[in-house]
Amino acid sequence: MNFFTTELGAMLVVIFVGFLPNEVWRVLGVLFGRRIDEDSVWMQWVQAVATALLAAVVARLLLVPSGALVALPLWLRVGAVASGIGGFLAVRRSVLAGVLTAEAVLVVGAWWLGASP
Amino acid sequence: MNVSPDPSLQALGACAPSRPAHWFARGMVGAVSTPGLVLVATFVGFGGLLHDLGFPIFAGLLSTLLVWALPAQVILVGGLAAGASLPALAVAVCLSGVRLLPMVVSLMPLMRGPRPRLLSELVCAHFVAVTMWVEGLRLLPGVAPEGRPAYATGLGFGLTVLSMTGTAIGFYLTGALPGPLAVALLLLTPISFAILLVRNARRPVDWLAIVLGAAISPLVANSPGGLDLFWAGVGGGTLAFFLARILPGRQA
Repeated sequence: MNFFTTELGAMLVVIFVGFLPNEVWRVLGVLFGRRIDEDSVWMQWVQAVATALLAAVVARLLLVPSGALVALPLWLRVGAVASGIGGFLAVRRSVLAGVLTAEAVLVVGAWWLGASP
Repeated sequence: MNVSPDPSLQALGACAPSRPAHWFARGMVGAVSTPGLVLVATFVGFGGLLHDLGFPIFAGLLSTLLVWALPAQVILVGGLAAGASLPALAVAVCLSGVRLLPMVVSLMPLMRGPRPRLLSELVCAHFVAVTMWVEGLRLLPGVAPEGRPAYATGLGFGLTVLSMTGTAIGFYLTGALPGPLAVALLLLTPISFAILLVRNARRPVDWLAIVLGAAISPLVANSPGGLDLFWAGVGGGTLAFFLARILPGRQA
């Protein structure tokens, strides 16, 4: 039994490793909001890091997945997300259209392959 | 994304009573919208991910309530499952939250109201995440200034309650769904993040950061100390930052 698989252990981790490090930015935004220059070189770097981090999260979920997504071939996982971005750009930059396109490609692909995790 | 004020709300300020509870309720009603429902769907996906990784449900619900930022939640839960160290995870979560700062700074003038109080500002700021930011920019200009803190709190609270419901539904649904639908649930998180990245990318530095972050991530997978996200984020972001500065014809 791992510490993080118990409710109390996982809650403590959520508070100290999730909530506090994340909430810092919201508090800073309130306290120093009027003094922070959004276009400063420092903020540009910070935003580039935040963007790269989010892209890395997506890449890891798709390329090195855990759980049920492993059952699907890589080309289907990547193809579904790529078609979702295509759907988003094609239909008036609608997030809903993009999500539905990706899901349709994935479900049809998984059904066609007969993959059942 | 349309962020112009909703004309149907323009008239509200003139005739509605200025009781906070009234504005709070109106904010909660405002949470039920297309962006709100897309958000709920992604939290259904997060609930599925929790179940998939064996993360306890109440701690997962607590993360939706307190962290209230899906990328940070996925980094935390996924990192724990991958065996990352807690300090490395805290750094990765902290870095992922950076984008909240400019959102809070730009939305705060609309949420503050005529008599700013620090506690109310902190509560409003807690609810700021991508959907709240987009919907706040769209809805708050049509709300009377004295009702804005209560309206923003109601809007954020409504979105949070909907998302916690989605988290629970996803958690209990994955086990019951047939294979193709269960994987569809798990794909919701990466697909919504990917679309979010494309939607927010405007300058060359954004595209460079997306490509480099995604390209470095598999190369540093399983790096010692569970620091792979750290390297991909800081390394890819820094590289993108410098490349964009030396590229010719960049925006001044």
